[in-house]
Amino acid sequence: MPAAREVPVQLTVNGVRRAATVPARTLLVHFLRDQLGLTGTHVGCDTTQCGACTVALDGTAVKSCTVLAAQADGHAVITIEGLASPENGTLHPVQQAFQDEHGLQCGYCTPGMVMAIRQLIEDHPDPTEEQVRHALDGNICRCTGYQNIVAAAMSAAQVMAEALSAANEREG
Amino acid sequence: MLPADFAYARARSLDEALDLLDEAHAADQEAKLIAGGQSLLPMMKLRLAAPQVLIDIAGLPELRDGGWMRSAVGGAFSGSLGALSTYRQLSRNPLLVGGLLRSRNENVQPHHAAGIPAITDVLAVLADPQVRARGTIGGAVAHGDPASDLPAVLLALNAEVTIAGRPGRHEHKQSPLRHIPRRPRPDKRPRPDAKPSNVAKQTMYLDDFLQGIYTTDLAEDEIITRIGITAPGGRASAYEKFPHPASHLPLAGVAVVLTFKGGTYTDEAGRVTDLADGSIAQAAIAVTGISPRPYRARAAEAVLAGAFPTPETLAAAAAQVTVASPGSADQVSLLGDQHASAGYRAHLAEVLTRRALTKAIARGGRSS
Repeated sequence: MPAAREVPVQLTVNGVRRAATVPARTLLVHFLRDQLGLTGTHVGCDTTQCGACTVALDGTAVKSCTVLAAQADGHAVITIEGLASPENGTLHPVQQAFQDEHGLQCGYCTPGMVMAIRQLIEDHPDPTEEQVRHALDGNICRCTGYQNIVAAAMSAAQVMAEALSAANEREG
Repeated sequence: MLPADFAYARARSLDEALDLLDEAHAADQEAKLIAGGQSLLPMMKLRLAAPQVLIDIAGLPELRDGGWMRSAVGGAFSGSLGALSTYRQLSRNPLLVGGLLRSRNENVQPHHAAGIPAITDVLAVLADPQVRARGTIGGAVAHGDPASDLPAVLLALNAEVTIAGRPGRHEHKQSPLRHIPRRPRPDKRPRPDAKPSNVAKQTMYLDDFLQGIYTTDLAEDEIITRIGITAPGGRASAYEKFPHPASHLPLAGVAVVLTFKGGTYTDEAGRVTDLADGSIAQAAIAVTGISPRPYRARAAEAVLAGAFPTPETLAAAAAQVTVASPGSADQVSLLGDQHASAGYRAHLAEVLTRRALTKAIARGGRSS
């Protein structure tokens, strides 16, 4: 493939196949927001620090301001819009926990926080508070002082673990 | 914030990637390789880098996976890691961080790997989880950043860098050892239609590869394919850093890998006697963040070789951590900036050396 300034990009976003031809320098976050209208993914610092742009790329949380759309070609992305149940809109347990624990004030960092915590709970289903704080190293919040965000993460992990064991019991 | 305009190409093989590099250079264009892009893309956004061509090597099969070889001596091993291994993948590799190790060979029983604690340390304090999911070991080495964490630990593990390029173009100072020596495979004859390879690989020590601020021995028409490490076995290793509170980059970072003298004697009845004498056989100490490139603190290492570890010997070694070479009166070249002066960074390096040595010894593990 010769080098080109415009590149075709085909990816699956929240389960839907999407295709477009974009300038090579297009960042994944701009592709999601401007091309696909998925504005839940935020641009905060734009310098790989704040984590507001966190999405799952092939299931792993990454900062979409530091991924080219071209690099995501052929891969699968999940954004904050893809977390709630598509059937009835039931919030993802991490989203619900942010509501229950008052884990947000202005809400700007929240989509990134939720995506980062989703990854944390996948990696550590029963996290300690220290693991939660460590996992949020790449996400900055300027309102809450993090206390309620950590509480939301702990509570979501518990809810998800209970749901999993209930499901296992039903099967068993 | 967008990078300056560039043309993008995705290479499907090492050969094609080298072709793309040559094509760009023939057209007098600056070309950069991109894998994870976690250092390159932020630099491009800030116009600290503005390549005209970006060649994506994230899909190259030749840069994936790794191999390892266990030594006969207590847990020591040599390992080769594909340059595309992300920090996240490394942190899930039981050979590196400890855990149950399964072989692809069904006849080899799974066994518990001790891991290399210095690697566990560095992967926990390097950047943040999202960046660790994309950033690669090859990129960390190729970037030549004076303040990067992983190269310090790799230096202390006598890491080697394997570089691919067109035959005959560049001569690197090759390392005498090769990891994973190829066994002759008499059953596998070359296919009659196989073309002669137009890709030459050389393996050199990371210590020879790193040169200065963002400067390495990698030529612009070459690609890093793998990183080899030699772990002496045992758990006596550590990485300690003092991070800049916002960027998390090390104002100073120190990696330590120790081996101890000792061994066992097995008598005719099979009774094993522990012969450990507890003194240090070899110390590898590598420092990052304070100098134009991460470096091995050979003067400090020399203080510890053969020494019995006491707080005094550790402090005496740490006091030598910025000395250029054993017996020298010269200091290594020190860097300072608006975040921390050269003198403060040197002070941090001494304190961190003491801490890393203390931690490594506490983790213990006689290993030779």
